Amino acid sequence: MTDFRQIENNLKKEAKRLLEAGEVAVVLAYGRGYDEKHPMPFAAKTIADVESLVFNEYCNFNMASYLMRYPWGTKIAIAAKAADSRAIIQLVQEEKVRREDLVILGIPAYGMKNQKTNEVVDSKTTGGLYNPVIYDILLGEEIHGQKIVSPYEVLAEYEAMDKEERWAFWKSQMDKCIRCYACRKACPMCYCDPCFIDQNKPRWADKAPQSPGNMMYHLTRFHHLAGRCIDCGECSRACPVDIPLYLFHKKVAKECEEMFGQAAGMKLEDKPVLVDFRVEDSDKILE
Amino acid sequence: MLKKISISKISELAAALMDKGLLLAPVKEISGHNFVEIKDPKQVDLDFHNTIASPKAAFFPHKEDFIKYETGKPIDTASVVALNLPPTFLFGARPCDVKSFGIMDIHFIASGIVDPFWKQRREAAVIFGYAFDLEKPAQPEEFYQTLGIGAADPEGSDIFMVKKGGDLLLNSVTPKGEKILTELKILNEGKAADKKYYDEYIKKGKEYKTRSMCLEPGAITKKLEDLFQNTDFWNRVSSACISCGVCTFVCPTCYCFDICDDTLFGHGTRRRVWDACMFTDFTLEASGHNPRTHVYQRLRQKINHKYSYHVRKYGVISCVGCGRCTKYCPVNIDIYSIIEDAMKA
Ligand code: SF4
Ligand code: SF4
Ligand code: SF4
Ligand code: SF4
Repeated sequence: MTDFRQIENNLKKEAKRLLEAGEVAVVLAYGRGYDEKHPMPFAAKTIADVESLVFNEYCNFNMASYLMRYPWGTKIAIAAKAADSRAIIQLVQEEKVRREDLVILGIPAYGMKNQKTNEVVDSKTTGGLYNPVIYDILLGEEIHGQKIVSPYEVLAEYEAMDKEERWAFWKSQMDKCIRCYACRKACPMCYCDPCFIDQNKPRWADKAPQSPGNMMYHLTRFHHLAGRCIDCGECSRACPVDIPLYLFHKKVAKECEEMFGQAAGMKLEDKPVLVDFRVEDSDKILE
Repeated sequence: MLKKISISKISELAAALMDKGLLLAPVKEISGHNFVEIKDPKQVDLDFHNTIASPKAAFFPHKEDFIKYETGKPIDTASVVALNLPPTFLFGARPCDVKSFGIMDIHFIASGIVDPFWKQRREAAVIFGYAFDLEKPAQPEEFYQTLGIGAADPEGSDIFMVKKGGDLLLNSVTPKGEKILTELKILNEGKAADKKYYDEYIKKGKEYKTRSMCLEPGAITKKLEDLFQNTDFWNRVSSACISCGVCTFVCPTCYCFDICDDTLFGHGTRRRVWDACMFTDFTLEASGHNPRTHVYQRLRQKINHKYSYHVRKYGVISCVGCGRCTKYCPVNIDIYSIIEDAMKA
């Protein structure tokens, strides 16, 4: 793997070139935070900004979340690790951004770390891919020969639980939720405005952080992400109380993939699975 | 009055407090420690640096029910929820967090409009402050030194606790604290050497290093006022912000709330729940107009409220430098760096 330092240099080089040539108005990547371990999502708009770009093992944030902040048609360069690239594909499929407006700076990487726990972020919490699925410019060499673990492997333990146990598990997890909504805000696929949970008419759930409202929020969110979650794990990483939201998302993603033979954000030419009707689609969902 | 107990006997002390009332103390949860209502004295765990959420929920719960009513019934059948609080022991609050209670008192009591729920909860509580471990370094996010708060300041606590080797020293700060210490038979008398250790510890706490800059409240207020219209500055510092509620929910001095009605099968409750100025719909008006539609406006509000408006209005900065907002921000926005940048701008 190309080391992080080298990727950072390549990132700066490409950012500078793109901004100088006027090919893009902004480069979405990572910038310096209050220390090495805490880089921040950063939008470089000028040549001077380029010096502030960084890349290291703590640059987890899914930059695709920021794409929709810019007016339609803005030319944007975006640093994209594997999961970020899937988010971009999914957003293009959902017509939230246009492929032709993007310059995708692909970053092949493994050994990314969670800044809170220092653990390596792997297939347990994310899709477990190393190479971006799509890119225009690659900022490091493609990674081959690394062990590939199915992102669904982590579900084994969860799937072994029976219905009651699962309910009890999620109930106890959801009870911890403080309804800060960092999960939806960190999620590149949660772009609805307003989000159903903020609506007053009708009001879908109570606002207090207690059982029925928490369940309503999460179960609805999980289902709104069915076939759309690209398994970046950002929701779980953003959560201040470490609720393993990824488990539910992975479970739904797995079922979707089994039913429709398509994982979210893998191919530009796919249609979002739940808005696409195909005669040969599985009827399992109705059973 | 100085008492002491072996830390290995902490659960016995917890049990003694539980006999007298409700105990809120740090408990190790999956992701870190939090103040929790103790059910089993063995849960209490003093081996922590600071809790994820601040202890403000002891007085300002995330959800507080005010009124119960039945829909369609006359208004005089509605009833105000009575608190009937038992004596409450808030055990192990860190000095910076204890300091925050005084700041919150300004809004909930001293400003003249008394919040009966906050007031009753405050009055029912005995605060056991707990000095940071001076042997261990501060976390990179903390900066209470900047705000003149030491790592072992007893002010604001009723009883202040300091760790001495395997012992916990408990010193009374207020008459309320002294009364409780007298009643707790499980405690041993502190010796003269303990008293000396305690006094020195408090003094040393003043020098405990956290991030620090020279910050004069009047100067930062003025600076922020000058910067208010500088959209470039605010856009720059807020560009990563995703408008979630983490920073305000974990903060000991954020007190915004929403009042909402919940009705289910005709049974209604009017309650308050925490709200956050960082949420996009925080300022959404019934007309549909929203005066703060941009991320920068919302972050500017948060910083200005704490470091400018609050100083103008009440003379104190409404931040205690606990660093939680920075530590738990999903995108690592750091209030300290913003203040530093503002001073330099
Ligand atoms: S639901 Fe979670 S894992 Fe899925 S796309 Fe959103 S943030 Fe990523
Ligand atoms: S980030 Fe965690 S605590 Fe916040 S709303 Fe989502 S699940 Fe709840
Ligand atoms: S603003 Fe941040 S540092 Fe200041 S009191 Fe609140 S959480 Fe602590
Ligand atoms: S926690 Fe961070 S991202 Fe969330 S609202 Fe606060 S500053 Fe913005």
